[in-house]
Amino acid sequence: MGLPLLVKVFAAGIGMAMMIGAETAAAAALNASVMDQHGKPVADTVVSATPLDPKNALRAKPPAVVIDQVDKQFVAYVTPIYVGSRVRFPNNDNVRHQVYSFSPAKRFDLPLYAGTDAPPVLFDKPGVVVLGCNIHDWMIGYIYVSETPFFAKTVSAGTASLEDLPSGDYLVKIWHPRMNGTEEATSRRVTLTAGTPVNLEWQLTVKPTFRIPRVSGAASPGYP
Amino acid sequence: MLTATPAAADIGLSPRRIPLSAATLTAVLSATLLACLPDLARSDWTLGTDALLRHDNNVGNAGNYDDIVGDTIVAARLSIFQLFPVGEDYSLSVGGELSGESYDRLKGLNNASLGGALAVKRKWGLGAYVPWARIGVSLARTDYNDDNRNATVYRTTLSAGERLDDRWNLWGEYAYERRAASSQPEVVPGISGDAYSQTSQKLTGNAEYALNERTFLAFGVLLRYGDVVSTAEPSLGIFTVSRAVAADPAFGPDDYAYKLTGTTLGFKVGINYSPTPHNLVGFGFERLDTHADGGNSYTKSIPEISWDYRF
Repeated sequence: MGLPLLVKVFAAGIGMAMMIGAETAAAAALNASVMDQHGKPVADTVVSATPLDPKNALRAKPPAVVIDQVDKQFVAYVTPIYVGSRVRFPNNDNVRHQVYSFSPAKRFDLPLYAGTDAPPVLFDKPGVVVLGCNIHDWMIGYIYVSETPFFAKTVSAGTASLEDLPSGDYLVKIWHPRMNGTEEATSRRVTLTAGTPVNLEWQLTVKPTFRIPRVSGAASPGYP
Repeated sequence: MLTATPAAADIGLSPRRIPLSAATLTAVLSATLLACLPDLARSDWTLGTDALLRHDNNVGNAGNYDDIVGDTIVAARLSIFQLFPVGEDYSLSVGGELSGESYDRLKGLNNASLGGALAVKRKWGLGAYVPWARIGVSLARTDYNDDNRNATVYRTTLSAGERLDDRWNLWGEYAYERRAASSQPEVVPGISGDAYSQTSQKLTGNAEYALNERTFLAFGVLLRYGDVVSTAEPSLGIFTVSRAVAADPAFGPDDYAYKLTGTTLGFKVGINYSPTPHNLVGFGFERLDTHADGGNSYTKSIPEISWDYRF
């Protein structure tokens, strides 16, 4: 009560630091591993963890995301983002692209452009957004708009790690562009506690890819 | 897509050897252009190149066994075009191509071709899975070692198609083509010597079916009606129905090119594999069956290996 203002501020700072420290100490981790039906690792799988306690669903400001276009391909092929993120689509090719999507989660069309002329696109609904280029039919990319801020994408080894998650109960699920079945069918309930990483493994049935060939014969009429 | 019958039908062999053949010229020009490709590829142009090795078991479109000559051909092409969007649904493409063919035995048939093309395409909607239609015109000059066959080729095409899903791609094309060659001296008084000029109409149907991410099958059927050139030694059966006759030293001093009217039915099957996204290697087989005036019918079978590269 009678403490000087400076002491109050100092004490408040110590308290906040302790809270932050406590939160960091309570951070949990999840390691995921995804294999296909032949036992081979599956890259580009999105692993997301939805906290069952709403208090754990941190509402951090969604980061800015970039999906590049290089050598007439989307880079990255699969990009997970947090709902509410804005995505820029710079064109690093020296030909123009017309990026579009028909997906219910986000319909948009960026008229033919070069360089960084295209404005960022807001993704405000969770779901999967399939990207295409109206000029180069073989270009395809996926944006996974996650309703939870806790997600990661598997690397070529088929593994992904989610770190610094608040301790608690979660629904963890995976999604891949070529997975057989639904994302919900992969859902698992786990309890994460600080200092004890949880390891989860999935085996997906991955469908064959039939991406539109970039070269389909000299006489093919598809391009232009 | 099926290749044009007349391209094989109106080629010839020159008995003389010129120092700078059409094929050599093509090679030099192609090498020059290829040297410029890195710079061109960075512009808003799209470049493509392809090469082909094929065997035509009846180059001269002959009906009689004794007249049939087969040969192996190496062909190469370099194409460049630019796309201009016109409104939301239309696009205009302007381009050109340089191509050449080199024959293993019939050196006079070696040729080089330089041409330009203009096409307007309409897509009914955005994306890869919408119907489209295209109308195109092209003009090309083809220069053979056998000068008799030099021609200017005018071509108009109307094509339409749709990629149904990830596996199936379908399209069809109607083509009207006129090859204007110099008239040759009459070898028979009263019968035209303009045997190498041809007019034809062609209808093709094509399908591609993806087996997996890198491999797809190609199917095509063809119906062609118009002029055909059949090279043979003189015989009454073909002579009486020919609309033009010219000497054809390409196949021998006693051979003549006869212009007939014929209907061709054909099909083509192939399998294509993409070792990298830019490359496509193909193996194909084409069979053409032509029924011409006076019962002068002939067939040809053309197996081929192809390589395409798209920048």
